[in-house]
Amino acid sequence: MLYREAGQFKTSYKEDQQIFPIRQDRIVIALILAFFFLVVPNFASQYWLQGILIPTLIFALAAIGLNILTGYAGQLSLGSAAFMAVGAFAAYNFMLRVPGMPILAAFVLAGLCAAAVGMVFGLPSLRIKGFYLAVATLAAQFFIVWVLTKFPWFSNHSSSGVITAQKVEILGYAFESPEAKYLLTLAVVCAFALLAKNMVRSTLGRSWMAIRDMDVAAEVIGIRPMHTKLMAFAVSSFYCGVAGALYAFTYLGTVEPEGFNLDLSFKILFMVIIGGVGSILGSFLGAAFIVLLPIFLNVAMHMLGSLVPQGISSNLELIVFGGLIIFFLIVEPHGLARLWQIGKEKLRLWPFPH
Amino acid sequence: MKQRTHSERISFHDSIVTMEVDFSSLTFTDTVAVDTFYDEVERRLAATNKRWYFLVNYTDCVIAPEAWDRFAERGKIANVDYGLGTVRVGATSQTRETIRQRAGLESFRANIYDTRDQALLVLGEMRKRRRESETATEETFLRVEGINLRFGGVKAITGVSFEIKRGEISSIIGPNGAGKSSMLNVINGVYHPQEGTITFLGKARHQMHPHQAAAQGIARTFQNIALFKGMTVLDNLMTGRNLKMKCNFLQQAFYWGPAQREELEHRKKIEEIVDFLEIEHIRKTPVGRLPYGLQKRVELGRALAAEPTLLLLDEPMAGMNVEEKQDMCRFILDIVDQFGTTILLIEHDMGVVMDISDFVVVLDHGEKIADGTADEVRSDPTVIRAYLGTAH
Amino acid sequence: MQFFFEVLIGGLLSGVMYSLVALGFVLIYKASGVFNFAQGAMVFFAALTFVGIMELGVPFGFALILAFGAMILLAIATERIVLRPLVNQPQITLFMATIGLAFLVEGLAQGIWGASVRGLEIPGIQDEPLEWMMEATGIGVSKFDLFAAGVSAVLVVVLAIFFNKTRVGRALRAVADDHQAALAIGIPLQDIWRIVWAVAGLVALVAGVMWGARNGVQFSLTFVALKALPVLIIGGFTSIPGAIVGGLIIGASEKLGEIYIPPFVQNSFGIETSLGGIEGWFPYVMALLFLLVRPEGLFGERHIDRV
Repeated sequence: MLYREAGQFKTSYKEDQQIFPIRQDRIVIALILAFFFLVVPNFASQYWLQGILIPTLIFALAAIGLNILTGYAGQLSLGSAAFMAVGAFAAYNFMLRVPGMPILAAFVLAGLCAAAVGMVFGLPSLRIKGFYLAVATLAAQFFIVWVLTKFPWFSNHSSSGVITAQKVEILGYAFESPEAKYLLTLAVVCAFALLAKNMVRSTLGRSWMAIRDMDVAAEVIGIRPMHTKLMAFAVSSFYCGVAGALYAFTYLGTVEPEGFNLDLSFKILFMVIIGGVGSILGSFLGAAFIVLLPIFLNVAMHMLGSLVPQGISSNLELIVFGGLIIFFLIVEPHGLARLWQIGKEKLRLWPFPH
Repeated sequence: MKQRTHSERISFHDSIVTMEVDFSSLTFTDTVAVDTFYDEVERRLAATNKRWYFLVNYTDCVIAPEAWDRFAERGKIANVDYGLGTVRVGATSQTRETIRQRAGLESFRANIYDTRDQALLVLGEMRKRRRESETATEETFLRVEGINLRFGGVKAITGVSFEIKRGEISSIIGPNGAGKSSMLNVINGVYHPQEGTITFLGKARHQMHPHQAAAQGIARTFQNIALFKGMTVLDNLMTGRNLKMKCNFLQQAFYWGPAQREELEHRKKIEEIVDFLEIEHIRKTPVGRLPYGLQKRVELGRALAAEPTLLLLDEPMAGMNVEEKQDMCRFILDIVDQFGTTILLIEHDMGVVMDISDFVVVLDHGEKIADGTADEVRSDPTVIRAYLGTAH
Repeated sequence: MQFFFEVLIGGLLSGVMYSLVALGFVLIYKASGVFNFAQGAMVFFAALTFVGIMELGVPFGFALILAFGAMILLAIATERIVLRPLVNQPQITLFMATIGLAFLVEGLAQGIWGASVRGLEIPGIQDEPLEWMMEATGIGVSKFDLFAAGVSAVLVVVLAIFFNKTRVGRALRAVADDHQAALAIGIPLQDIWRIVWAVAGLVALVAGVMWGARNGVQFSLTFVALKALPVLIIGGFTSIPGAIVGGLIIGASEKLGEIYIPPFVQNSFGIETSLGGIEGWFPYVMALLFLLVRPEGLFGERHIDRV
C-alpha cells in the first residue's frame, strides 16, 4: 500500500534513467543519508563509530572496487587487499615526502598509484580468463606485500614495515575525533559510490558487462576488450587504493604490509559474494554483514556459554563464514542485494500475498 | 463538402520528384471505378514524360474485394512504367494487411506509414540513396576474392570470390558445413583468411579485426544468439551504439552533464528501433528471460543500433514458425527501405531466400558452386544436385 | 656445484610433494569440472584426523584406514551439501563454493582436533641424508624425500591406469566433459562424484601424511594448496602427468630461485637488504609468464570458442 508506483509516470527518458525512479525510494534514501550524516555522529558511541561504522564504510568501498572488477567485468581477482596496501603506503609516502600535500589529494593520488599497479597486473587478463586470472591476481597479492616488506623505503625505514598514518587535516581543521573521522569517511565513500553507480549504468558499465557475458560478441560490436578490461582493473584498483588509504588514516592509524594479506582479500571477496555480485548496494550490505558477523557470533557464544564445545567456538568464525558462502551460493547467488529486491517486490504487493 | 475530382487528387511536386495521389475517403466499389481513376493517373504521368516517386494516401479509403485485384494490377503497371518507388500513408489495419500480403506475394516493399511526414522522410531517404548509388557505382561495395580459410588441416573455405551490391539483399546458401558462417566471420573480421582479399567500400584489405569492421559500419547477428544475457533489452541495444558514444569515463562518472545528454540522445535513437521492431513491452526485461524468437529480434535490434552500412545476418529465421518468419521477412525488407542498409544473410528456408534476395551465392564444401539472381540459381543443375533437390 | 645439485634435487623432490597435492585437484577437475579450492583444507583435515586418531592410541596402519574412512564421509557430505544443489551452475560459482568449503573444513578440522601443532613420524623413514650417496658424491639427499617421491610415483601410476583403463575411469572422464550428456547416457552422476572426491580424499590423506611428517601438522598446511595452483597452470588442469611435471618444475625453480636470484639481484643492483623470501611469489609469477605463452599448460587441452 505504501510502496505503490501508481501515479508515478515517467514522461521523459531523463526521468526513466534516474538512479531511484520510484519516489518512495528517493524518500527512503534521503532519510537514510540524513540519519547517517546527522543523527549517528551525535548519538553513536565511540565503539560503534570506530569499530563498526568506519570499517564497514571502508570495506564497502573496497567491495565496490572488487565488484566492478569481478561482478561487472567478470574478471576474478584475489588480490584486492594488495591494492589496498598500495593505496595505504602511497598515501603515507605522499604525505611524508611532499610538503604541504592536502590529504584528499593524497588519497586521490594513492588511488591513482593503485590503479597503475592494477593495470600492470591486469595485463594478463588480455590473454587469460576465469580462475587462471585468479592465479595472476594471487601473484599480485604475494608480490606486492613482499615488495612493501622488503624495500624499507616504503615504510620510511621503520622496522618490520609498520607505518603510522599522519594526522588528517583539511583546510586547517583537524579530523581527530571519531565523529570527525566517521563523517569524513562517510562523505568520501558516498561520493565515490555515486561515481561508481554512474559509471556502471553508462557506456563503460555496459562494456564491462558485455565483456563479462560474451567477449567475442562484444568485440564484434566494436567494444575493445583490452581497453575495457584494463579500465576495469584500473578503476577497481583505484577504489581499493582509496579504501586502503582510508584504512590507514581514519581507521587503524597504524598498518603493516602483512595486514593486507590473502585473508583480507578473501574477506572482501566474501563481501561481494554475500552482498551480491554486480551490485553497488550489495557491496554495502556485504560489508556490513561481514563486519557485524564476528561480533554477533561473539555475543552468541557468550550467551550460549558452556553449551558449545571449546574447539568449535574458537573456530566458529571460519565454519560460519564457509557455511554462509556455500549457503548463499546455493540459495541466492545474487546475494543480499537480490534478497533486498525481492523484499521490495513483496512490499509493493503488501498487504496482498500476490 | 465539395467532392474532389480525380484530377484534383493528383498533384506533382517537382522539387522532390514526387507525384502525390490522394485516395483518402474514396470508395472503389468495382473495377470500373478503379480503371477510371488510374486512367487519369496514367494520362497525367504520360504527359510529363519522366519517372516519379509515388506518394499515395490511403486514409479512409475503401476498396471492395472485387476491385482489389484490378487495383493492384493497375498500380503495378503504373509503377513499372513511370515509378521510381512508392510510399504509402494511412490505411486501415485491414488495408495494410492486404497490402502487406500482396507485397509478400509479389515481392514489392509495402512501405506503409502513419503520417504523411513519416512517408516524406522515407521518400527523402530513397531519393538520397538513389543519388548515392548513382554517384558511387564505381566504388565496390563488398567484394571478396580468392578467400582461403583453413583451421589446421581442415579447409573451411577454398578460393571463394563474389561481389554484392549496395542496397541489395544477398544470400549465401548451401548445405551444413559448407562454410557459410565462416564466410560471414571472414567478412566481419572474426576469422582471418590465410589468402584472399576483402574489398569494402572501395578499400581492399587482407584481414581486419572485428572492432575495425564494426567501426567501418559492418554489423551482424549470430547463429546461436550472442546477446549479453545479464543485461536488459535496452542495455543490449545501447551497447550497439557504443562506437558512437564519445564521452570518456570521467565524464561518465560525473554523469550529469555531457554524459547524460549523450545517454538521452542515444536512448531516443534506440527507442526508434524498439518501435520499429515492436519490442516496447520487453524493454526492461533481462534478455536471458526472453523466448527464443524475441531474443533473435533483440539481437537484430542491437545490430541495427549501430546504424550499419552492411548487415550480416546468420540464419535469422532459424527455429521460427511461419508467422515469426513472415515478421522477420517484413523487418528485413523494411530495414533495407527505411535505413538503406545492405544485407547479406545466411538462410536455409528456400522460400524466404528466393522471395527476398536480389542475389544468391551458393557454397558447398567450402567452394562456390554458383551465384546469380534467385531464378538463375534455382534452375542451375549443379545447385539442384548439391543442395536443392528437384526444383519445386 | 655440489651445492647446486643438492638444491636441485631437494627442489625436485619437494616438487613431487606439490604434485601430490596437485593430483587431487586434477582428479576432481577431470571428473567434475570443479576447481576444488578446498583441496588444501582437505589435506589439512586428513592429516589432522590421522594424527588425532593416532593420539587416541590407535596404531599407524589402522589409523590410516580410519582416516581414509573419515575422508570418504567428507566426500559424501560434500557431494550432498555442496555439489548436488549447485549442479548446473557456472564454473566460477562452484569455485567460490569450494572457497567456502575450504574455510568450513579448516574450521571443522581445528574445531574437532584442536589447533596445536603436531609432529608426525613415519616409522622407519627419517629425514636424514642417504649415507652411500653422501659418501660417493657429497650430495645430501633426504631419505624421507626419496620415500615421498616413491609413494607419489606409485600413486600417479595407479591413478593414471585407473583413469585410462577402467570403466569407472572412462565414466569419470565423460562426466568431466559434459554433466548433462553423461546423465543422458545413464552415468550415475552422484555416485561418480562421491567416488572422485573420496579418491581425492585419499590423495589428500597421503599428501597430508607426507607434508605433515616433513613440516609438522599445522594450519600452514592449507597454504600448500595455494602452491599447487602454479603447478596446475604449468602442467595443465586436466593432466595427471602434467601435475607431476609441473610439480617438478615449480619445486626446482622455487628452491633454485630462492637460493640464487636474491644474491644475483642484490649484487647487480647494489641493494643492501636481503631479498630473501621470494619463494612466496616466485612460482606465481612464473606461472603467470607461462600463462601468457601457453595458456592451457604443457599438457592441458586447448579450448576453442565456437562463434
